Amino acid sequence: MASSGGQVGGVFDHHVQRAVCDSRAKYREGRRPRAVKVYTINLESCYLLIQGVPAVGAMKELVERFALYGAIEQYNALDEYPAEDFTEVYLIKFLNLQSARIAKRKMDEQSFFGGLLHVCYAPEFETVEETRKKLQERNAYVARMTKNKDHYMTKKHKGAKDFRGDFHSKTSGFPAASLNTSTGNSDLCLPYSPELPLCYFSPKCKCSSGEYVDRPSNSSQDGRNFDDTLGHCDHCDSLQKMQMKTLQNSLARHGAQKALAPSEAVDRFMPRTTQLQERKRRREDDCKRETLLEACTSSNEVMIGPQLPDIPKVDMHDDSLNTTANLIRNKLKEVISSVPKPPEDKVEDVHRSRPLKQRRRI
Amino acid sequence: MAQKPKVDPHVGRLGYLQALVTEFQETQSQDAKEQVLANLANFAYDPGNYEYLRQLQVLDLFLDSLSEENETLVEFAIGGLCNLCADRANREHILQAGGVPLIVNCLSSPSEETVLSAVTALMGLGAPGARRHPELTALPVVQCMLRFSLSASARLRNLAQIFLEDFCSPSQVAEARSWQADAALGIPLPRTEAPQQP
Repeated sequence: MASSGGQVGGVFDHHVQRAVCDSRAKYREGRRPRAVKVYTINLESCYLLIQGVPAVGAMKELVERFALYGAIEQYNALDEYPAEDFTEVYLIKFLNLQSARIAKRKMDEQSFFGGLLHVCYAPEFETVEETRKKLQERNAYVARMTKNKDHYMTKKHKGAKDFRGDFHSKTSGFPAASLNTSTGNSDLCLPYSPELPLCYFSPKCKCSSGEYVDRPSNSSQDGRNFDDTLGHCDHCDSLQKMQMKTLQNSLARHGAQKALAPSEAVDRFMPRTTQLQERKRRREDDCKRETLLEACTSSNEVMIGPQLPDIPKVDMHDDSLNTTANLIRNKLKEVISSVPKPPEDKVEDVHRSRPLKQRRRI
Repeated sequence: MAQKPKVDPHVGRLGYLQALVTEFQETQSQDAKEQVLANLANFAYDPGNYEYLRQLQVLDLFLDSLSEENETLVEFAIGGLCNLCADRANREHILQAGGVPLIVNCLSSPSEETVLSAVTALMGLGAPGARRHPELTALPVVQCMLRFSLSASARLRNLAQIFLEDFCSPSQVAEARSWQADAALGIPLPRTEAPQQP
């Protein structure tokens, strides 16, 4: 692909906005109309080229708008870049690639001061070191995600089975993956996880997991696909083997699935109070069994959850309990013995001053 | 029902990817093929999909598409490979499937994006730590990179420079340079033929 300006700052093919694809099959149409484009790490860059900025002296506002998506390292206008009349072209460099990706996705085709912005990556502005760093970060990210995923998939594999049970009941109504061609993955938020097509593919999903065999009436189209793929030479062997493998795998799992799905589904949907009641009931049953059998000791019983604090057992005959009482009694004896008269007078006075008033005890 | 069941997203993903693969193999329309291939190549960006892609043998699909006549399909396919080369398991698969010569072929493409993706894919395949495939730094490849490092395109220059600095030993680069001095295009000619005009 020739570019009309080989030097940095010139027009490149990847700056040109492609026409939106309108011939896409319905099942893979995204929410927004998009062009057909593949984004690789080469194309993505911290540098964003913004075209179509109305020439109204709004650079500050433009930068502020983009700064919402991340820290901006530098920005400048590109005066020599060919622009439409009354529009300007700017170059903004983000501190990190992820901010640039998000900014590009959000700001592309957005209106700004009456004009429509066209935002694209400008990797030609990168230095060697920046490119190297970009590639290294990408490799590190992939390595990290793969490592996490291995760990996560072994854990999640069990959980995935019960979801399949519920998934089957979904009707069609394809919410449409916004993850499509063109901006594709770069479309998505951290950390690159694509939005997912749901629902519509339950029949297809079943097809891939081999349950198609149980439901030949599902749809003739599925049948055709299945047969035709077997007929195609290119990947037919491999695909056939793959289909057979998934078939066997899923049939083996299907049995286990059926056993797991209902109970686990039920467990999942029980409201909390019911679960608490369940546990209480089970505990009571266990207690009843205990008293009947007289076998279980508290040490054998499996206690789940925090134990209620026991009432502290106090020895009521212990002398230490009376320490305070004794102290008070002794003090009183001392006081009484040392000053016999005045307390008596005091008491009499009190009685005289308030002869009739009764004190109510609350 | 009290709450919406939380659907496991990956259950639908496999089905969707399979539908794409199926359409790619069945359809007669070049447009549809391009769209589907681009879709798959973009999916290849997310490491979360790698297991499905391997399961559906999309890597082989990409490698096969490198031999397509349609230049756009080649561009998208090599883009997809470039996206998933960073992963070790994918790397192994591609090396075992004999993907290196196919990718090296893409270096001669007239499309700049194709060439850029091919260079990046080779770098991904030759990642340090893994047993480096000797074909990756074969003499013609290194010579090609030397030419690229003098290219007018900044992107290609940068990538070629990184390749030469990080993936080739100084001796390999020196050897390639010395060969380049002799032959006009850096391609060693058979000795029986007369040398071409530079």
